[in-house]
Amino acid sequence: MKTVNLMSKSTTFVYSRTALAGQVAQFLRNYYIYFVLIAIIAFLSAANLDRFDLFERGNFLYEKNIINILRVSAPILVLAGAFTLLMVSGYIDLSVGSTMGLSAVIYAMLAINGMPFWSAFAITALCGALLGAFNGLLVVRFKITPVIATLITLSLFKGIALLLVQDGVSAIKSMGDLRMPQWFNAYGREGVLMGLPMAFWVAVGVTIVLIVLQNRSLLGKYAAATGGNPTAAKLSGINTSKIVFILYAIVGVCAALAGIARASFMSLGDPLSGDGMELTAILVVLIGGTAFSGGEGKVLRSFIGALIIMTLTLGMLTLVPAYYQTLVIGAVLLGAAASNHFISKKGQTLSE
Amino acid sequence: MTSHQPPPVLSVEKLIKDYPGVRAVDEVSFSIQASTVHCLVGENGAGKSTLIKMLTGALQPTQGVMKVNGTTYQPSSTKDARRSGIATLFQELQVVDELSVLENLTLGMEQSRFGFIISSDLEQRVTQTLATIEPSIDPSARVSSLSVAQKQIIEIARAASSGANVIIMDEPTAALSEREVERLFTVIRRLREQQVTVIYISHKLDEILSLGDTVTVLRDGKHIVTKPLSEVAGRAELIDMMIGRSVFQSYTVRSAVTDEVVLSANGLSNSLLNNVSFDINKGEIVGFYGLVGAGKTEIARALFGADKVSGSILFKGQPVGNSPKEAIAAGIALVPEERRTQGLFTNLTIRENIPVMNIRRMSDNGVFRSADELTAAVNYVEKLGIATDSIEKHTEKLSGGNQQKVVLAKCLFSDADLLLLDEPTRGVDVGAKTEIYDIIKNLADEGNSVALFSTELEEVLGICDRIFLLYCGSLESVIINGPNLDTTDILNVVTGGDRGGTQ
Repeated sequence: MKTVNLMSKSTTFVYSRTALAGQVAQFLRNYYIYFVLIAIIAFLSAANLDRFDLFERGNFLYEKNIINILRVSAPILVLAGAFTLLMVSGYIDLSVGSTMGLSAVIYAMLAINGMPFWSAFAITALCGALLGAFNGLLVVRFKITPVIATLITLSLFKGIALLLVQDGVSAIKSMGDLRMPQWFNAYGREGVLMGLPMAFWVAVGVTIVLIVLQNRSLLGKYAAATGGNPTAAKLSGINTSKIVFILYAIVGVCAALAGIARASFMSLGDPLSGDGMELTAILVVLIGGTAFSGGEGKVLRSFIGALIIMTLTLGMLTLVPAYYQTLVIGAVLLGAAASNHFISKKGQTLSE
Repeated sequence: MTSHQPPPVLSVEKLIKDYPGVRAVDEVSFSIQASTVHCLVGENGAGKSTLIKMLTGALQPTQGVMKVNGTTYQPSSTKDARRSGIATLFQELQVVDELSVLENLTLGMEQSRFGFIISSDLEQRVTQTLATIEPSIDPSARVSSLSVAQKQIIEIARAASSGANVIIMDEPTAALSEREVERLFTVIRRLREQQVTVIYISHKLDEILSLGDTVTVLRDGKHIVTKPLSEVAGRAELIDMMIGRSVFQSYTVRSAVTDEVVLSANGLSNSLLNNVSFDINKGEIVGFYGLVGAGKTEIARALFGADKVSGSILFKGQPVGNSPKEAIAAGIALVPEERRTQGLFTNLTIRENIPVMNIRRMSDNGVFRSADELTAAVNYVEKLGIATDSIEKHTEKLSGGNQQKVVLAKCLFSDADLLLLDEPTRGVDVGAKTEIYDIIKNLADEGNSVALFSTELEEVLGICDRIFLLYCGSLESVIINGPNLDTTDILNVVTGGDRGGTQ
């Protein structure tokens, strides 16, 4: 029996093409993002970092630097995969930053009031699922445009988070008799394996689970079908509303995990700690090659995209004067997007 | 044909569909035998699409019964129809580009455990079905890398492997090249060998003659005949059955037509047009007649500068620019095919719609003169007989005929000397149709020129002085209107038969 690999990583096998040039273009298109990451790391390693305190003398590739970057990156790394699946299905969630902030507040409140780690962790993740499900409800049940629905919940969730924090205080933190427990900080900072903290390994675990879901499960395939051609999906008997609802809930859970990681890293539950996260998430996912229009996109590539953005941001922090950093990051990303566009265009013309 | 007639796989009995004011399908009864290619033919408006929509569950019949394998069948949606084994090949292809061929074929039918896809004999089965009908497609290829024709075959294969025993194909060859059409025919013949029934709808009579087993002819919503194609004596008989011998609106020779050439097009070509040349005279009404996809809209858009085209277009001796703005300034106006989406601002009122194409005429140095707008609106409502209680009525609330009159008013206000009318009476009731014809004739009598682009022969024969016959992007023949025209000959030309004689 001929076994056919349902979801091989290079499903982009192109039929009836013989030209070597075409294969090269295909190769570039598939592995492009890894080259970008390598190029950025190579550049930062070559640059003279002597003057800067943040990095160990003269060497970007120093162990502590890498650990530092990966620790700070835990929130976006844990969120990127779920966000990718949602965008593959053709939907978007702009409330992830607020979900993150609210989760950070909830998690810190539970911890400071004496709840043990695993219970606080589980309850916060469940809250995230409920927040995500609420988004899903607005979108699939009440048919509110995803951008509008999640802009509404962006305010709503952030408003709740701000109310939970007492008057005159900016965040949930150790104050007076109430002390944050010892373990609170460890989750995001203390190395448990290869010097990396729990929060990072949770992100890796979530990403692996989502990769398997995307490649092997009905949910993954139906997400692609829903985003690629909703009518075809419905005509094939797929309950696209259910798929989208589940994906929103998963994004909610992952945003909550991101909130936990951020709260732990900062040792406080800040209601604004997720501000701007929706833009970072979109950027990361798009850099990873996910189509804004849906159908196309890979969890793993978004993970790499997140590493690119974080490496670039933290690297630039040391190389470029503060006022130029944002501009330089924008320019580098523009270059990455333009060359990606060029490569895929070229691949297309060659395949015709 | 077997000697024992098996029960029909699909049959309709006294099927009726009423729209407000129109009976689109009128007591149609016929049946379709299993494992045949059953063709459905008729002119535009004969009721083919309405009938098909009822079969696929997109529309509910007003009266009558449909049966599948002898049992009553009342589909409420396309999904419902599929469950009863009736699949439709939509013109808009329903495949997911981002997935592989195999993933598309199994979409919605996967075997799974705890939400994870498990391998089953399903993959083997669909791969086999695909191989049977088209072995050259690689199941692991991404669908986005396939041609339109190949995607169509993927859809057919999916329908076949999902257990559909009737597949409806509505003009499936519209977007295909000649070689691809041959391939599709091979696929359809293989389907028939696999005991699948195909309902095939096409305007191209040659396709029907070479492919079909049985043909059903509809005319004006009525069932004319269902019979084996082996008993049909060629195109001529098909055409006779399609048009009947109805009397067309009598055309009278108009005196306003002059010899002065207003527009002269030479060698118009693009991806859809093939070296089209013609002249339009002052005061003349010319008709462009052809089937859907023959190139009518393309010519209209080219003349209006909306699409790029090679060749030359001279209007009053000057080259026409290549944008609608320049065309309007030169005195050309277009009434587009899609009135609601291209012709009107449906969210605006009648008053606001009328001056849109020539807003300069209404303003001094950029300041708008609303009093003039009011006068113009009142004038045109009166002149064209737009039935409305107020010029402040939003155009979306008007009937089709009145909407079309507002579009006409918009074009007239632009001071055009040449009006391009693309299907101006589509979706308009009979009364308003006559009024629109009168408006067109009056305009031409006042010395304007009109080009009418239409798929309705009756309309073209009713008012046009000269008729250009189009087939597949080429101007096949020019006919001067007059009594005793041979309509069979015209239909022969536009359905791709031998070139008719020029009269």
